Amino acid sequence: MATRAIDSRNTVSAVAADDRRRWFRGQAFWLVAPALLLLVICLGLPLAIVTLRSFSEPQWGWQNYAWFFGTPVNLTVLQRTFAISAWVTLVCLIAGYPYAYVMTAVGPKMRLVLILCVLVPFWVSGVVRTLAWVILLQDSGVINSVIRAVGLSPVKLIRTQTGVVIGMAQVLLPFMILPLYSVMKTIDLRLMQAARSLGASPARAFAQVYLPLSLPGVYAGAIIVFILALGFYITPALLGGPRSTMLSTLIQNQVLSLLNWGRGGAMGVVLLIATFVLLALAAPLSRQPHKTGSRR
Amino acid sequence: MKTKIGQVAALGLLMITTAALAQSKPVAGEVAEGSLKGKTLTFVSYGGIYQDGQIAALKEFVDKSGVTLLSDGPTEISKLKAQVESGNVTWDVVDTGDFPPYVYCGKLFQKLDFSKIDTSNIPEGQISECSVPAMNYGVVLMYNTEKYKDNPPKSWRDFFDIEKFPGSRALDGSGDLSGGMIEQALLAAGGSVENMTVADIDKAMEKLKSLGPDTIFWKTGADSQQLAESGEADMIAMWTGRAMTAVKNGAKYTPAWQDWLVVMDQMTVPMGVKDPDAAHALINAYVGKSAQETLAKTTSYTPIHKDAKPEVDEVTAAFMTNTPDKLKLGYQQNIKFWVENFEVANEKWNALMAGN
Repeated sequence: MATRAIDSRNTVSAVAADDRRRWFRGQAFWLVAPALLLLVICLGLPLAIVTLRSFSEPQWGWQNYAWFFGTPVNLTVLQRTFAISAWVTLVCLIAGYPYAYVMTAVGPKMRLVLILCVLVPFWVSGVVRTLAWVILLQDSGVINSVIRAVGLSPVKLIRTQTGVVIGMAQVLLPFMILPLYSVMKTIDLRLMQAARSLGASPARAFAQVYLPLSLPGVYAGAIIVFILALGFYITPALLGGPRSTMLSTLIQNQVLSLLNWGRGGAMGVVLLIATFVLLALAAPLSRQPHKTGSRR
Repeated sequence: MKTKIGQVAALGLLMITTAALAQSKPVAGEVAEGSLKGKTLTFVSYGGIYQDGQIAALKEFVDKSGVTLLSDGPTEISKLKAQVESGNVTWDVVDTGDFPPYVYCGKLFQKLDFSKIDTSNIPEGQISECSVPAMNYGVVLMYNTEKYKDNPPKSWRDFFDIEKFPGSRALDGSGDLSGGMIEQALLAAGGSVENMTVADIDKAMEKLKSLGPDTIFWKTGADSQQLAESGEADMIAMWTGRAMTAVKNGAKYTPAWQDWLVVMDQMTVPMGVKDPDAAHALINAYVGKSAQETLAKTTSYTPIHKDAKPEVDEVTAAFMTNTPDKLKLGYQQNIKFWVENFEVANEKWNALMAGN
């Protein structure tokens, strides 16, 4: 009797869910319409115009792309942009992964403190944070003063790629930690205990159980951080030197000071396509481990 | 008899025209009472203390003419281009950097009607078809007095001489190329600025690169000030306003005025503004003596009225560039050359900025 009751309740709820799904199929469009409209107007349309301009200014043709690939500095900077973004992603991952793990393991009060530590920098403008890094990293800055006081020789940090990577990683860290945390908190920690009870060492339990389960968070965080890093402008401009100029600075030059919107557009389109290609290459990587993980 | 009548007639005619001229000829700083009542002008500049000072300088004009003055910014030539292209120009008077009114004269900026602006008190060589100066300042060589105690650098030639004057250098990398700096680099490389060619730009770029990998290209005025106050670079090419503030804040730096680079902001009127006459009236008021004195007092930039005598403190006065002794030492870039070669020169400059 009791089981029957549960069964019927399940059937009722299943029917309700089915209804909802059917209703949803018809109405779904209207639910996403506002967001879609916003995307089309604020992203799709400008993107289309920029792409169009890259082919139409000053005349119709491939001239802007020919210029882009025919100018060595553009290629150097494009390559550098991807390299710096990759470094930033790696640094964020190394710093963010243990942090996100600790967030899942501590009590609710401590978790709140940890979440605040991630979010508070979010509320401070990027320029202010970058200027704070200038004061920390410069030759006569806080870090080098400490190094000198200890008796070591000072390190060149500001106006180097290292400085840029440090500054960018700090700004982007929340974008790594939050997706990681949202995946990690769903992982049942008893699985680790189970692995241990079956004789796995802590390292093996981590590598074969926890890590694969957390990979979706790693990929989500890495992709968000990497893509955001590609478009960084203020941090490399203030913390970097000429050898850490990123593509956005060159685009800004073309668009704002040379009024060459065709070339600026072409640079943007190249960056966009290069990003898509890279993501397409990374996509199979992100799917496979997840699949095998769930099969096990 | 005939001649006498002719003479009288001619004299009469002369008197009438003089009177008419006297009546319509503008006087810098003046505007007719209530002449712009009900009208609105939007003035665009770079914000901060500078724009506040400009608005303060225009207060008399606003009070007297009855115009409603709106303030917008910061100036972005790309935004102006978008306005002009779409035919909806909302910026009436725009303060720009030194090159744009030359590069985009007749395209984005109107040719000014100089029968409506009194330019008689503006320093020579600063007016173009599409602009009058908004203020003057300079790029000056500041050196660390503790580093170069007995043997201080005296000119840009020393700035570019790494062997005789070892130490790190910082230059203006904030935006468009600095024509004056490239010309100084060319001179230091043994070139000549007479009949400059594009190949000369390369020569100058090599000289700039020879300063070494530790050379700093500062991105903002605040950035350069920070370099001086923390002693990060031994010689810094600095805007005079920032140099002054750094010295006031205790930076141990002192200027070498030889060949300081003359720089100015420009006052312009975009193509297609709704009321060009009102825009001209604003500029005419802006270049007046008392307006320029207010501007100099509030911003510490150098006024562009020859007789302006702003009341400023000692350090500020030391960095004003309109005194006869400093005017003698100033260096004017070859604007014509840089405008003609604007794109190629910027491409080379940007490549240098990007580490190539």
